Amino acid sequence: MNSSTHSQPGTYVGASIPCVSRAWRALFVTAAALSLSACATVEPWERGTLARPEMQLDPNTLQTGLYEQVYDSKEASGGGAGTAGAGCGCN
Amino acid sequence: MAAMSLPAFSATQPVESSVSAGVSNYKEADIPRRHVVGGDNRRYDIDIRQFRLLTPIGNRWSVDLGVSQETMSGASPWATVPGPDGEAGLIMSGATIEDSRTEVNLSTALYGEDRSTAVTLTSSREDDYEAKALSLAAEWTFNGDLTTLSAGASYSDDVIEPSDAALFGRVTSEERKTRSVSVGIAQVLDRLSALFAGFSITDHRGYLSDPYKLRDVRPDGRLERALNVNYRRFLPRANGAIHLDYRFFDDDWGISSHTVQSSWYQNVGNRFQIVPNLRYYSQSAADFFLPIDNFVLSTDISQSSDFRLSAYGAVTVGLKGIVQQPRWSLTMSIDRYMGGEQYGLTSGSEHPARLDFTLAAVFAEFKF
Repeated sequence: MNSSTHSQPGTYVGASIPCVSRAWRALFVTAAALSLSACATVEPWERGTLARPEMQLDPNTLQTGLYEQVYDSKEASGGGAGTAGAGCGCN
Repeated sequence: MAAMSLPAFSATQPVESSVSAGVSNYKEADIPRRHVVGGDNRRYDIDIRQFRLLTPIGNRWSVDLGVSQETMSGASPWATVPGPDGEAGLIMSGATIEDSRTEVNLSTALYGEDRSTAVTLTSSREDDYEAKALSLAAEWTFNGDLTTLSAGASYSDDVIEPSDAALFGRVTSEERKTRSVSVGIAQVLDRLSALFAGFSITDHRGYLSDPYKLRDVRPDGRLERALNVNYRRFLPRANGAIHLDYRFFDDDWGISSHTVQSSWYQNVGNRFQIVPNLRYYSQSAADFFLPIDNFVLSTDISQSSDFRLSAYGAVTVGLKGIVQQPRWSLTMSIDRYMGGEQYGLTSGSEHPARLDFTLAAVFAEFKF
């Protein structure tokens, strides 16, 4: 490990995050294209399948919370699907 | 971070009340003896109990109360030092670490014709850690109820007071503050599929080091970004639904990660589902990660040997069984997580604290 990359406590000098890097631009464009493409008209009486429990974004809120708590505390990553909740001593 | 709330596909008031409860056990595999220079090799064993009540109030409001309680015991790494064979070895704490955590979430939401706004208060308490958080969220459904935009913001104020601080020369009291914002879009693609894309930025400030490690010095700020994409599709011929989730994460500590998860919800008859799932995770190391603690380095210079800041990958395989009745459901699941540098997309050295764990859970929900 090159000590020149070490940062001082009290300062904020990790690897810099450019405003919008090329990778992030590509991800945003992909997500936008996926969201806006193939937006077919779906009449209300055609939405029965979409209302099924297994088609929900979060079919089991308690279990999703459990997974988030475990993964967020045991890995260095988190977020993306919403804002952060309260902190804990586990990380 | 404790649990965050996922946006929904539409901003609608719940039509009925529900009570749900869960009991789970999280158990980490023991660290091989050859990697332990001192202390106990048994890692965390955590029992978790969860409760949730969601109920509509009148025609425009809902209240959501969640309580989670954890009790944990086991040892954790204190330091990474050169072992007798020259490879990294761990100094572990004794197995006497016991702690508990109680988290309470209280949320209320107001619904309009095509939108909702929600406020959530969260309190999390441990013997040595206390957090209070406030979050706001809004959703707006339009385009014939096919598109939902969501936005959220949260603030958490945390206090860390490590146990046995005087005995081990630890910090006595430190603070940490977290601010987070998120946006998302949920889109119905056709009568069988839907997509969600979300982006969040989280800023941590304050004491971010691990006070229990003998030498752990991290920057006092961390800026994180994450992009999440979730796809749901029902396949009528197979009578099942596929879930595909992807997340890209990076921060200004030099960590970036990819997470890919897929689940298959197979209906068996009208009331039973079998759900196998597979998750892959890979992250790069923090710029200041060191495989072995350097006690000669000035305490002004950041360093950490925490395995969670190393380059590694992980595979999770899981299986879930769901009994789905009109007024209640029962879910049983088991997941096995296997972590290690050999699973990572970026090269990293073997860390003696690489993590394997098993998570078993049972959930029940009643609607009334």
